[in-house]
Amino acid sequence: MTERTKIGVYVCHCGGNISDYVDVEKVVDSVKDLPNVAVARHFVFMCSEAGQQLIKDDIKNLGLDGVVVASCSPHLHEKTFRDAAKAAGLNPYLLEHVCIREHSSWVHSDNREGATRKATWIVKTAIAKISLARELQPIRLDVEREAIVIGGGIAGLRCAIDLARAGSTVHLIESSPFLGGRVPQIYKLYPSGKSGCEIVEELIDEIKRYPNIKIYTNAEILSAGGAIGDFKVTVKVNPRYVGKVSDDVIAKCPVEVPDEFNYGLTKRKAIYKREHSYPDIPVIDMDACTKCGECNPDFDQQPQTIELKGSLIVLATGFKPYEPEEGEFGYKVHDGVITLPVFERLLALSDGKLEYNGKEVRDIAFIYCVGSRNEEHEYCSRYCCVATLNASLGALEKFDGLRAYHIYRDIRAYGKYETYYEEAGKKKMLFIKYDPEEPPVVEKSGNKLIVRVKDLLTAGEELEVPVDLVVLSVGMLPEMSEVFTMLRVPFSRDGFLQEVHPKLRPVETAIGGVLLAGACQGPKDTVEATASASAAVAKADTYLVKGYAELEPFIAEIDPEKCDGCEECVGECPTSAISIKDGKAVVNEALCKGCGACGGVCPTKAINLRGYYYDQLEKMIDSVGGD
Amino acid sequence: MPEGYDALVVGGGIAGMEASLTLGDAGFDVLLVEKEPSIGGHMIQLSKVFPTTDCAGCITTPKMAATGKHPKIKLLTYSEVEGIEKTGKKFRVRILKKPRYVDENACIGCGRCEQACPVLIPKEWEYGLIGRKAAYIPFEMATPKKALIDLDNCIMCGRCERACPKEAINFLQEPEEIEVEVKAVIIATGYNLFSPEKKKEYGYTGNLTVIHTSANPNIIHGMQMERLLAPSRPYHALVRPGDGKVPERVAWVLCTGSRDKSVGNPLCSRVCCMYSIKQALLYSSAVPFGEAAIYYMDIRAFGKGFEEFYNMVRELGVEFIKGKVAKIESRNGNPVIIAENTETGEIMEEEYDMVVLAIGLLSNPEAVKALGVELDQYGFVAQPQENSNPAVTDKEGIFVAGTATCPKDIPDTVAEASAAAAQCIAYLEEVGS
Ligand SMILES: Cc1cc2nc3c(=O)[nH]c(=O)nc-3n(C[C@H](O)[C@H](O)[C@H](O)COP(=O)(O)OP(=O)(O)OC[C@H]3O[C@@H](n4cnc5c(N)ncnc54)[C@H](O)[C@@H]3O)c2cc1C
Ligand SMILES: Cc1cc2nc3c(=O)[nH]c(=O)nc-3n(C[C@H](O)[C@H](O)[C@H](O)COP(=O)(O)OP(=O)(O)OC[C@H]3O[C@@H](n4cnc5c(N)ncnc54)[C@H](O)[C@@H]3O)c2cc1C
Repeated sequence: MTERTKIGVYVCHCGGNISDYVDVEKVVDSVKDLPNVAVARHFVFMCSEAGQQLIKDDIKNLGLDGVVVASCSPHLHEKTFRDAAKAAGLNPYLLEHVCIREHSSWVHSDNREGATRKATWIVKTAIAKISLARELQPIRLDVEREAIVIGGGIAGLRCAIDLARAGSTVHLIESSPFLGGRVPQIYKLYPSGKSGCEIVEELIDEIKRYPNIKIYTNAEILSAGGAIGDFKVTVKVNPRYVGKVSDDVIAKCPVEVPDEFNYGLTKRKAIYKREHSYPDIPVIDMDACTKCGECNPDFDQQPQTIELKGSLIVLATGFKPYEPEEGEFGYKVHDGVITLPVFERLLALSDGKLEYNGKEVRDIAFIYCVGSRNEEHEYCSRYCCVATLNASLGALEKFDGLRAYHIYRDIRAYGKYETYYEEAGKKKMLFIKYDPEEPPVVEKSGNKLIVRVKDLLTAGEELEVPVDLVVLSVGMLPEMSEVFTMLRVPFSRDGFLQEVHPKLRPVETAIGGVLLAGACQGPKDTVEATASASAAVAKADTYLVKGYAELEPFIAEIDPEKCDGCEECVGECPTSAISIKDGKAVVNEALCKGCGACGGVCPTKAINLRGYYYDQLEKMIDSVGGD
Repeated sequence: MPEGYDALVVGGGIAGMEASLTLGDAGFDVLLVEKEPSIGGHMIQLSKVFPTTDCAGCITTPKMAATGKHPKIKLLTYSEVEGIEKTGKKFRVRILKKPRYVDENACIGCGRCEQACPVLIPKEWEYGLIGRKAAYIPFEMATPKKALIDLDNCIMCGRCERACPKEAINFLQEPEEIEVEVKAVIIATGYNLFSPEKKKEYGYTGNLTVIHTSANPNIIHGMQMERLLAPSRPYHALVRPGDGKVPERVAWVLCTGSRDKSVGNPLCSRVCCMYSIKQALLYSSAVPFGEAAIYYMDIRAFGKGFEEFYNMVRELGVEFIKGKVAKIESRNGNPVIIAENTETGEIMEEEYDMVVLAIGLLSNPEAVKALGVELDQYGFVAQPQENSNPAVTDKEGIFVAGTATCPKDIPDTVAEASAAAAQCIAYLEEVGS
C-alpha cells in the first residue's frame, strides 16, 4: 500500500464553538509540515458553502489525494463533507471527518492548552488513517417495491394506503382479529368531532380499493429478520373457525361473555364481529365457545404459516392505556372509579341519561396524569389533557345536567387545542390544581364518591368534591412485542421505540430499513400518529420509488488467501452475515453491520473492516506514540 | 413552454427544506420558492434546540447546504408566488423574483461590498441587536451566500460597486416574472411572530438603545434571546442590550401574546414553554451564578423527552412561578415584574436585570393568499382531514406542512414535512406523468 502524500487538513472554528477553547492556528501549525500533508487551513464555518468551496478548490487545484476535516461530530456533517469531496472528484471515503468539538473544545472548555493538544492528536491520527485509506464504493442494493407494515391501527392503515398509492405492494399484519386499533373505541375524536369508528371506516374503505394491500388479521409473528432490501417475516394466521355468516346466525350463539371492546360494559357472543371494521367475517372466541355448532363453524380450520418478504418494515404497533393499580385513586376498590378509555365507551353506549352500573351520573371528577409524570413513568402522555377535556365536553353535550370537575397538574391543551380548555371554562366546569406531592384521595361516602384535594389555585385550600363517577385520565404505555427483539430495535428511556434523531431522522430506527409510525414511538394523538405514518412512508419511498438503497461500505472483508475456513467468525457474527463457501468465509453485504467482532476472533488475521484496515489502525497509534 | 417541475414547495424553512429533500431523494424534480434572500427560516436563527439541545445552526446548515446543492432541487430565493391556476392536472404558477441588485451568478459572497458600504441600520436577522449595511449578506451561513442591496436605505454612493471584485453589482436589475408548470404544491410558509409592542403593559418598544421609563431595552423578546444565546451571537457574549451588562437575574414571561384574547390570540403557541425552559438552561450555563425565573400559567412539556427536560431544568434551580404577569415597569433601567402568584394569592414585585417575553407564533395568511386554499378562523391553513390525513388541504394536489397549519415544534414540523412529501409522492404516482 503506497501512502497518500497530498492530504489537505481543514480545521473548523465552528463560529467560536471550537476556536474559543482550541487554538486552531496552533493545530494547523503542528500538522502542516507533516510529510503526508500538502495543505492545512482553518476557517470559521467549514460546513458553510464557502468552507466547502475551499476544500473543493484545493482538491482540484492542488490535486489532493486525501482530506481531513476536524470540526463537529461526524453525525452532523460527515455526509456534507464527503459529498463535497465527491463533487470535486475525490472518492468520498478518502475524506476523514473527526470531531474536535464534542471530543475536545466543549468538554475541555476550562483548559485551552490541553484542549488544543487533544485536538492536535485527533487530527494527527486522522492524517495517519487517511494516508493509508483505500478508495471504497458504497454498497448498492436493489430494492423491490414491497413493504411490511406491522400493526393495523390508524397509523398502520395510513402507512398501507400511502405505500400502496405510490405503487408498492404492502403486507399489513394485525395481531387482533380486526383492523383499526384503539381509535374505534373513542366516542368523538378531537379535533374533527367525528366518531372513532367513522374515521377508521373511511380508511378501511380506502384500503379496500387497493389490491396491492395484502391484509393478515389474527396474525402472530413467529420470526422477523433480514436487512434493508431483504426482510423476511413469518406469520401464523390463526383460524377464525367460521366463514362469512349473517347477523342472524351470530345471534343464535348461546354464549355471552364480557365484550373487551367495551371494557366489559356490554356482552358479546362467542362468535362476534366489529361493524366498523375489516374483515367482514366474524371470529370464534374458542375460550368461550361451547362448540354447539349453531353458527356453521369449521373447527377443522388450521393455522396457516406464511412467509412474507419486504424491502422495508414499518412498525406501527401502537400503545396500551395505563392500567391503574388496585387502590390507586380508589380504582377497583370503590365502584364508580373508571379510566378514560372506559368512559369513552360509556359515552358512546349510553342514551338519554348517563348511567354507570345502573346508577345515574350527575357529577364527574376527572383526575389527570394517572400513570404519567411520576417516578415510574416520568414522561407526559401528551394526548390525555385534550382527550379528557374533549370527552367531558362530549358528555355535557350529550347529557343534560352534568357537572364536571377537572383535577389536574398543568392543563396541556397545546396549540389550537386551547379552545377545548376555554370551552370547558365557558361550560362552568371547575378546575382544581393538585400538587403531585399530595395527590387527591378518593373515598366512598354513602352513595357518593368523595374526592379530597388541596387546590393550589386557592392557596392550598382543602376541598371535598362529592361525585358519582371518578374518571382517571390514564397515560399511554408502549405495547410490547417480541418483534422488537427479533429486529433488535432500540428503546428510548421512556420505554417507547427510539428514533435515530427526533429532528434529523424522526422515523428511522438504528436498524436500517426498520421505520416507526404512530404511538409505538411515543404518545401521540391521531393527527400526530398519521403524520408520522406518512413520514415513515416518505422515507420508505426514497428507496421504494427510486428502486435502490446505498449503504456505507464499512463491512467485513475477507482475504481468501489467509482464511483457512475455521468458522470461528461464523459463530461470532451477531447478524449471521458470515457463511462458509468452498472452505472460505464469505460475507453477506446486506446483513453485515461492520461491528468487527469477526476480525477480533480470526486466528489468521484474514478479516479486515473496510475503512479500518489493520495497517491504518497501527499507523494511527504510531502517529501519537511519540507525543 | 414554461419550465416544468413535479412539485413546487413554497417556503424554505425547515418544513420546506425537509419536504424538498425527501421529494428530491425519491427522484422528483422540485422548485423551492423562498421569500427571503436565504433559505433556513426561523430555525437557523435559533440558539440550541429542545429537547436535544443540538446547536440549531449545526443541524440546519447541513440541511440548507443539501437543499442548495441537490441535483433535483431548484432554488428561487427572494421570490414570491403571485398566482396559481389549475389547468387539467397541472398548476401554472406565476412567480415574482425581486431584484437583489447583485448578479447572483457573479457574486462570490466575499463580503467586500458589505465592508465598503457606509450605511448602518438595524439588522433584521438579529432582531435589531446589531447593525447591518445597506449592501449585505443576510447572515454568515446564508444559502445561497450572495449579497443584496437594500435600495430603501442605499445612498447610492457607489462604493460597493467599486469594491466588488466580480462586477456583480447592478443597480438596474428589474423584478423578474417567472412562469412554471408543476403537478403538485406543498405549502410550508411557516409562522409570524407576535409583536410584543401590542402587549403595552409589558413595556416592550423594540427600542434597544435608549433607557427611559416607557422604553426599556432590557425587556426583550424570545427570538432576541435566541440570538443572544446562539453560538454565533452578537458580541460573542451574553450581555443585555441596554448597557452591555451581563444580566445576573433574568425572568421569562410565558404566554406573551398567546392564550390572550386581549391581543386577539386565544391559541397556545405550543413551543414557548419549552423554548423558555431551554433558554433558562442555556442562560444558566452561560452565567453560572445567574438567577433564572419563569412566570407561567401551565407548563406544557408534552412532547417526547420534554417532561424529562423540564424536570432536569427545575432540578438545576430555575425558579418556576405560577402567575400571570400583570405589568412590567422600569426602575433604574431594570425591568420590574408585577404579578399575582396564583399559588399564594400574593401580589409580587420583582426586579430583574433583563426580562424575556416569550412571544408566540401566529399564522402567516398573507403568504398563502395567492394559493387559494381554505384557511381556518385564525388564518392557518385548514386541514379538512386532520384526524387521518393531516397533510392534505381542501385543494387536490396542494399539501401543507409545518407551522403553516398551527404553531408547533421542530420534531412535529419535520414529521409533517415528510408526511406532506409522502402525500405528494402518492399523488404524483397516481396522476402519472
Ligand atoms: C381514551 C382515549 C381517547 C383518545 N382520544 C383521542 C381523540 O379524541 N383524538 C385523537 O386524535 N386521538 C385520541 N386518542 C389517541 C389515539 O387513540 C391514538 O393516537 C391512536 O390510537 C394511535 O394509533 P396507532 O395506530 O399508533 O396505535 P393503536 O391504535 O394502538 O394501534 C396499534 C395496532 O397494532 C396492533 N399490534 C400491536 N402489536 C402488534 C404486533 N406485534 N403484531 C401485529 N399487530 C400488532 C394492535 O392490535 C393495534 O391494532 C385517544 C386515546 C385514548 C386512550
Ligand atoms: C423564540 C423561539 C424559539 C424556538 N425554539 C425551538 C426549539 O428549541 N426547538 C424546537 O423544536 N422548536 C423551536 N421553535 C419553533 C421553531 O421555530 C418552529 O417549529 C420551526 O421553525 C417551524 O418551521 P417552518 O418551516 O414551519 O416555519 P418557518 O421557520 O417560519 O419557515 C417558513 C419559511 O417560509 C418562508 N415564507 C414565508 N412566506 C413566504 C411566501 N409568501 N413565499 C415564499 N416563502 C415564504 C419564510 O421566509 C421562511 O423561510 C422556536 C420558536 C421560537 C419563536
